[in-house]
Amino acid sequence: MRASRVPPPAFDVVGDLNVRIEDVVDREDLFEMCRSAQALFGLGVRVYSSEGALLANEGRELSMCGLVNETAAGRAACGATVNRAKSVDPLSSAEVSDGYLARGRALGADHVVHACFTGLAYRIVPLVYETRHVGRIVLGPYAPADMKEAPALLVRTLPTLDRQEANARLLGLPRFEPSALAQIAQHLKTALEVIIFSSHKAYLTSKMHLYSVRESYRTLEEKNERLEEALARLKELDRLKSNFLGTVSHELRTPLTSIIGYSEMLADGIAGPLATEQAEFVDTIHRKGEQLLALIVGLLDLSKLESGTMSLRYAPMQIGPTLKEVVSTLAPGALKKGVEVELALDRTFCELAGDAERLRQVFVNLVDNAVKFTPKGGKVTVTATVRTIEPGALSEVRGTSDVDDIGIVLLAAPHLDQKAVEVTITDTGIGIPPADRAKVFDAFYQVDSSATREHGGTGLGLSIVRRIVEAHHGVVSVQANEPQGTIFVVTLPSAHARRVMPSRVPPAVRP
Amino acid sequence: MQLNFAAREVAIKLVYYGPALSGKTTNLKALHARVAEESRGRLMTLDTKDDRTLFFDVLPLVFRADVDGATIRVRVKVFTVPGQVVHSSTRRLVLQGADGIVFVADSQVSETENNAASFLDLRANFKDMGRSLAQVPLVIQFNKRDLVKIRRDAEIDDLARRGTDPVYKASATRGEGVIECFFGLLERAWRSLDKEHDLASTLGLPSDLFLERAAASLGYDETARALSAASVRCCGS
Ligand SMILES: Nc1nc2c(ncn2[C@@H]2O[C@H](COP(=O)(O)OP(=O)(O)OP(=O)(O)O)[C@@H](O)[C@H]2O)c(=O)[nH]1
Ligand SMILES: Nc1ncnc2c1ncn2[C@@H]1O[C@H](COP(=O)(O)OP(=O)(O)OP(=O)(O)O)[C@@H](O)[C@H]1O
Ligand SMILES: [Mg+2]
Ligand SMILES: [Mg+2]
Repeated sequence: MRASRVPPPAFDVVGDLNVRIEDVVDREDLFEMCRSAQALFGLGVRVYSSEGALLANEGRELSMCGLVNETAAGRAACGATVNRAKSVDPLSSAEVSDGYLARGRALGADHVVHACFTGLAYRIVPLVYETRHVGRIVLGPYAPADMKEAPALLVRTLPTLDRQEANARLLGLPRFEPSALAQIAQHLKTALEVIIFSSHKAYLTSKMHLYSVRESYRTLEEKNERLEEALARLKELDRLKSNFLGTVSHELRTPLTSIIGYSEMLADGIAGPLATEQAEFVDTIHRKGEQLLALIVGLLDLSKLESGTMSLRYAPMQIGPTLKEVVSTLAPGALKKGVEVELALDRTFCELAGDAERLRQVFVNLVDNAVKFTPKGGKVTVTATVRTIEPGALSEVRGTSDVDDIGIVLLAAPHLDQKAVEVTITDTGIGIPPADRAKVFDAFYQVDSSATREHGGTGLGLSIVRRIVEAHHGVVSVQANEPQGTIFVVTLPSAHARRVMPSRVPPAVRP
Repeated sequence: MQLNFAAREVAIKLVYYGPALSGKTTNLKALHARVAEESRGRLMTLDTKDDRTLFFDVLPLVFRADVDGATIRVRVKVFTVPGQVVHSSTRRLVLQGADGIVFVADSQVSETENNAASFLDLRANFKDMGRSLAQVPLVIQFNKRDLVKIRRDAEIDDLARRGTDPVYKASATRGEGVIECFFGLLERAWRSLDKEHDLASTLGLPSDLFLERAAASLGYDETARALSAASVRCCGS
């Protein structure tokens, strides 16, 4: 039933990919940069990708170029020159042999000058990112500072061209010193490389953001999955445990009922009269049988409550009648022991949504305890009052405050005063030492005292009480009665208060 | 590692790992400052907050060796991870595909536990990725040797001799021990990749030639041997 785990991303998110200018820099931005460089330096600027694609191009046609481009032959020769310029590899250390190129440290680290047949020239600078060649900038055409007149090559290439006109146009162009060109080229190279760097950085950042979130999510999912598995296992164990308890209790109870029944019949003389001693023995069998039955019933209740299989039948009810019934059942026995039980009902009209039978069990347990642990001459008082409770008051007592939960604003109870019934059972008995007060609600816990030993009991009573009260969204607590004795306080929210209470049980653990 | 036969290129990924504030970013900056200009790219520091790394830093390096008239390029990308405990997802992402690890420990006695926790974290991360730390070239650096209240030399030497991984001592802020440590990892990583992919014959690049060229780019002309011998174990024994 183990769900398959999602593996972490198997690829390298920050892997060594070839960065392409066109992927990280906006075309429009490139154009703008070229435009402003053109305006500032009066030089044409082109940017090519490493594959030779023209990414941006800004420049005015020089008068000389206009002359050349008037003829078809001129246009063809110009195109061939441009093509060669964009395919020159500025990073290659191979010797240059075609006479058009010059390179070397004197020009600037890795610049190449490409001569045009017109006498004009181009300067080419490689763009490098992460030590890789990612493209190039081509500056020009421009008139070199040392250019004198139209070269022989021009005449050879375009014999029909008007030589005088060409010379006039060439000489009218502004000249560029190699050092100035090297600086301009270097500046543009640096600027563009920084732009590529920053753009790639931004790209990586957003990619990391995305993948980090994904990876965190994946880890959380995985943890959730494991928790859910653990929870399912625990719930299964829990179910098995209560099933076991349920079965065992049932199997024990059936024969026990027979033992009790037959011993009762024996004691009643149905099978003939008994001698005194025989009657005593049968009586002991009967009493111990009843004790055992009480233990089994308690265990059964507890296991049902724990596993959530005890279904409480909530119905509109008042607390008054239940308390009256409890007191009238237990008062005669108490009186025989010399303990007075008093019921003080005060404005108790408040509708509860409760299981009357289970609540009766709660108060029987509490009053029974009070009588049991109060010596002759003592007094047990049961009171009930309707109180106003703060929102959240009941959940806080149980230590399950919702305060730092996400979505508290949606889940918290509306900020309205709510009503609750508070029942107190006060006795003047032996009291419970402060250290034991929290523990008495644990199953089987009994305060180690001679009084407890004398009374026997199973130690299950209060743990059942607490579970039933909590199932009603209520709280039970214990405190000392001055000068002596114990006070148990049970607070049960009104039916209306219960309706607006947020469900505090997460869906996953709901039975 | 990525091999590109056509371009005669190898790309290697090395990662600086370690607890928060142990000096990983400082190591990378010191490395950047010392590598020959033509061998390094820009140092990229991705998204930091108060000088703490949030995602990673990366320094691209390239070592060139000419074999039979052609240039072979070995591109080494050096990453740092964010050391703070909360960034564990990011650490895993950066770690993916690493060919070698420098574990930067903080020498201060008070940091001993953080070093250990971070190392366990490293191991767990490799395990999660289905790799064993035992199979990854690893060197350990004890950084911040310039401080007081640090683990003693004798103690580190002793522990280093007992372990299997080379241990380097460094003061990254002063740039001491940084190159030695980096080269130590580069050598281990290269030899391990060579063993696995037989780079000497597939690429035609013998290990010794590569290491010599790399050492030269790191400012150790013709003295790769001296660099190789800089770890605690080598000089101690
Ligand atoms: N004294 C001294 N301080 C150092 C040394 N190395 C780094 N530091 C200091 O330690 C602090 C943290 O250094 P970083 O390099 O940012 O640490 P980091 O490992 O990258 O930290 P994270 O990014 O949070 O994982 C800085 O203030 C450094 O100056 C060293 O060798 N000696
Ligand atoms: N009113 C009380 N005064 C003093 N001690 C009490 C009082 N109520 C409960 N206790 C202490 O708390 C323990 C647990 O009470 P609980 O009702 O759970 O068990 P029990 O009464 O001993 O047995 P059971 O109710 O199962 O017959 C008691 O054994 C006793 O020590
Ligand atoms: Mg009891
Ligand atoms: Mg850092």
